Amino acid sequence: MSVTVISESSNGALHPVTAQLVGAASSLGGSITVICPGGVGSSDAANIAGVTKVISVEGDCFESYDCVAWSKAISPLVEGDLVLSSSSAVGRDLASSIAASMGVPVVQDVTSLTEGFSATRPIFSGKAIEEVGISSPCAISLRANSFESAGDGGNAEVSSVNVSQDITVAVKQALAKASERIDVSEADIVISGGRGMGEPANFSHLEEVADILGAAVGASRAAVDTWGEIPHSMQVGQTGKTVTPNLYIAVGISGAIQHLAGMRSSKFILAINKDADAPIFGVADYGIVSTWEEALPVLKEHLSDLLSN
Amino acid sequence: MAYEALDFYDIDSLLTEEERMVRDMVRDWVEDRVLPNIEDACRDGVFPDEWRVEIGEMGILGAPLEGYGCPGLSYIAYGLICQELERGDSGVRSFASVQGSLAMYPIWDFGSEEQKEKYLPGMAKGELVGCFGLTEPDYGSNPGDMITRAEDKGDHFLLNGAKMWITNGTIADLAVVWAKLEGEIRGFIVEKGDQGFSAPEMKGKHSLKASVTSELVFQDCKIPKDRILPDVKGLRGPFSCLNNARYGISWGAVGAAQSCFNSAREYALSRIQFGHPIASFQLVQNKLSWMLREITKGQLLAYHIGKKKGDGSWIPEQISLAKMNNVDMALEIARMSRDIHGANGILDEYPVMRHMANLESVKTYEGTHDIHNLIIGRHITGIQSFTREP
Amino acid sequence: MGVAVLLKQVPDTTAKISISGDRVDEASITKWSISPYDEYALENAIKLKESGFGDVVAITCGPSRSAKCLTEAAAVGADRLIHIISESPLDSIQVQSLLSAAVKESGCEVVMCGKQAADTNSGSTGPGLATTLGFSCVGGVTEVSIEGGNASATRLGPSGLEQVEVAVPCVFTFDKGDSELRRPNVRGIMMAKKKPVDVFSAEDLGVDVGDSMVEIKSHSSPPEKKPGQKFVGSDSIPEVVSKLREEANVI
Repeated sequence: MSVTVISESSNGALHPVTAQLVGAASSLGGSITVICPGGVGSSDAANIAGVTKVISVEGDCFESYDCVAWSKAISPLVEGDLVLSSSSAVGRDLASSIAASMGVPVVQDVTSLTEGFSATRPIFSGKAIEEVGISSPCAISLRANSFESAGDGGNAEVSSVNVSQDITVAVKQALAKASERIDVSEADIVISGGRGMGEPANFSHLEEVADILGAAVGASRAAVDTWGEIPHSMQVGQTGKTVTPNLYIAVGISGAIQHLAGMRSSKFILAINKDADAPIFGVADYGIVSTWEEALPVLKEHLSDLLSN
Repeated sequence: MAYEALDFYDIDSLLTEEERMVRDMVRDWVEDRVLPNIEDACRDGVFPDEWRVEIGEMGILGAPLEGYGCPGLSYIAYGLICQELERGDSGVRSFASVQGSLAMYPIWDFGSEEQKEKYLPGMAKGELVGCFGLTEPDYGSNPGDMITRAEDKGDHFLLNGAKMWITNGTIADLAVVWAKLEGEIRGFIVEKGDQGFSAPEMKGKHSLKASVTSELVFQDCKIPKDRILPDVKGLRGPFSCLNNARYGISWGAVGAAQSCFNSAREYALSRIQFGHPIASFQLVQNKLSWMLREITKGQLLAYHIGKKKGDGSWIPEQISLAKMNNVDMALEIARMSRDIHGANGILDEYPVMRHMANLESVKTYEGTHDIHNLIIGRHITGIQSFTREP
Repeated sequence: MGVAVLLKQVPDTTAKISISGDRVDEASITKWSISPYDEYALENAIKLKESGFGDVVAITCGPSRSAKCLTEAAAVGADRLIHIISESPLDSIQVQSLLSAAVKESGCEVVMCGKQAADTNSGSTGPGLATTLGFSCVGGVTEVSIEGGNASATRLGPSGLEQVEVAVPCVFTFDKGDSELRRPNVRGIMMAKKKPVDVFSAEDLGVDVGDSMVEIKSHSSPPEKKPGQKFVGSDSIPEVVSKLREEANVI
């Protein structure tokens, strides 16, 4: 059995999830070929333990992103019965397109994988788990942080392949991203403040944490009504927005039933409140009894350490 | 969480695809546009003009009427529209009821060809707003003794009198006004701007706050001769309008009740007292069960009378029963829901107190609860008991 | 000329999902809707039509219940409706071969769909179909305009928000953009009711789908969350942050 891993890159370097892909491949046994699109991070990929060989695929087409062109360049180099990629947007694209060009099925966003192949993946936004059996060669994208990373210390041979593949998608210009903050009802992470924040100016501390996490900033009704400065559009709760993010961070919010109605279906809830008896702790997965003044700087520091990595 | 309308007996399965799509369209609109703004509208005491525009764009006004740009939907679809609008707020449903059943309908049924072509297409789009003037300060349940008079002055009519409790009055472009001409009740179309006509808004309501309620004042109001509705005389005119509106109310009340039930159920499941959700207590379950039972009966009444409206096999007393019963049950459910919400029930965070206050009006307008009892009483016994006269 | 829009019917994103035995209980799903990203594709396709770019052909592949999403598309302006009937779950190759046959049948050289469907969140169909058809593919777009044989699209790509150009034929997969989705109205609903649906089986399309290579073995409920954990003082934050990553997998 041999597995081809499509490496993941970010900012011109190998993304750590690549080691997780190799880790998942290793658990299946057999040889592991890592293909690095555009040659990005090929020497780092060669250092991952368990990698048999690395193919650095290079060519003009890798200068900008064109899913079909990339997949046409990569597909001929695929070896074996299984292609693994990350379930990032590009990883999914490539898995789909490579699978289609090989005439094999693709299964996305897999969180566990065993030989044969048997895979599980969350469906309906995580409201159910699906287990599938795949009875043919296939492409599979793996969800980040679901598989053990392979260690380093590998010493695989790196070969380069030059491809001349026409690119059909031409980037005309980079556009400035709208700087406005995402809406609470759409964000994967929401950080909300309540009257416990003391005054509206202190919401800047929440915004700093939000910037690190790519989160939206919300507020309780008490915060919106008390000061009249925080817009109603930020209000989470019975008469505000109902949110179901992956992570909801409640800071200085006691957890009135009207607030809980708007956020209790969040997948995970982190509450920071100085009152150990605040009802918000009743729905929190992680509760920290602390003032926001003490907690937010530390939280900010640790999050930025973790996420800059 | 997503709104799941109570439908214990699966009325949904009796609907056509078209009816369901219309229902869902209105439900989505209410969810997107009414619910996030209704408390502000109530606080400001306004019916937001963009609601008029958007209701017009949806094309639901005058739902069961056909031709002249009207939708031509089934009576069931009309009922569902009322149900969804009133799940938002009785004031929103009132806007549509008055426009469709009380202003468009009489023009459609009793108007001249020219009148229909002049008014109905614009009214169906919400570009022209209509109101209905029957009730007077001194004559509510007893409209037959109305004071408002019309005089034939040869080349025009002269109207004198006043109407009260007129939904949409101040924002209306035209009013269908019932007045006595030579002792006989006739319908007249009065346009905004007609000489001697004014429509001051009535303020200070604790109910239907997001709905415009007005007086219509006629002081030597001069209108052209072609503004009389040619095809109806007597109380039959206004009463046939009221039958359509009352039918819509029987569905609307179900919507208000569903909203109150939904809120009570959610609240009871999330409110913890004595260490348990209050939904786990028998007294609360008893209330929820009673609410479900009454709503389910109300839905069946509304659906069945809707079918009969559609095939023409109805009698007015059946509509009286549906209006009376459904508003009564909705009001009781609003009160019970407030009770389940405890003190929180009085807050504008929840829709229940607003529905409750609205339903007090709905119980009274379009034939009071008691008048409908008398209508049914007369049907049962053959003896009218509205007046002391034989 | 014309745009093919691929629509998938999915449980409404707010619907409760319950498991009965070892399968998701479809009967308990009270509301089915067009997958949200597909709605943005549909909106853009209708805008293109309004700018003079030919008809909108709405295509869905799924069981008979999914015909509803075609009627909904017709109510806001889709001109032709194609329903590829498939009662059993299909793997990506099967779906793509059926859709590619239907797209060919429609004659459209511009295809629009959501970047992923709200049920599986896979995102396989757009790029896979483009590859099968030999079309280009631009993913994660929010706006597409077409002049002559060239399309201009705004996409959020790996290097940020950018304006790209691509020659037709092309598949575009949509992200949520700023465009407001149009509401249906009664007139649209009444017209939609009268619009015929072209119903095709795999045989009608001349496709031999074969057997699915991906067999659903089971559905199960996600693991129960652990009871809440409480920490005292800001010293606990490093531990909580690492739990957010390791246990909750949310950052």
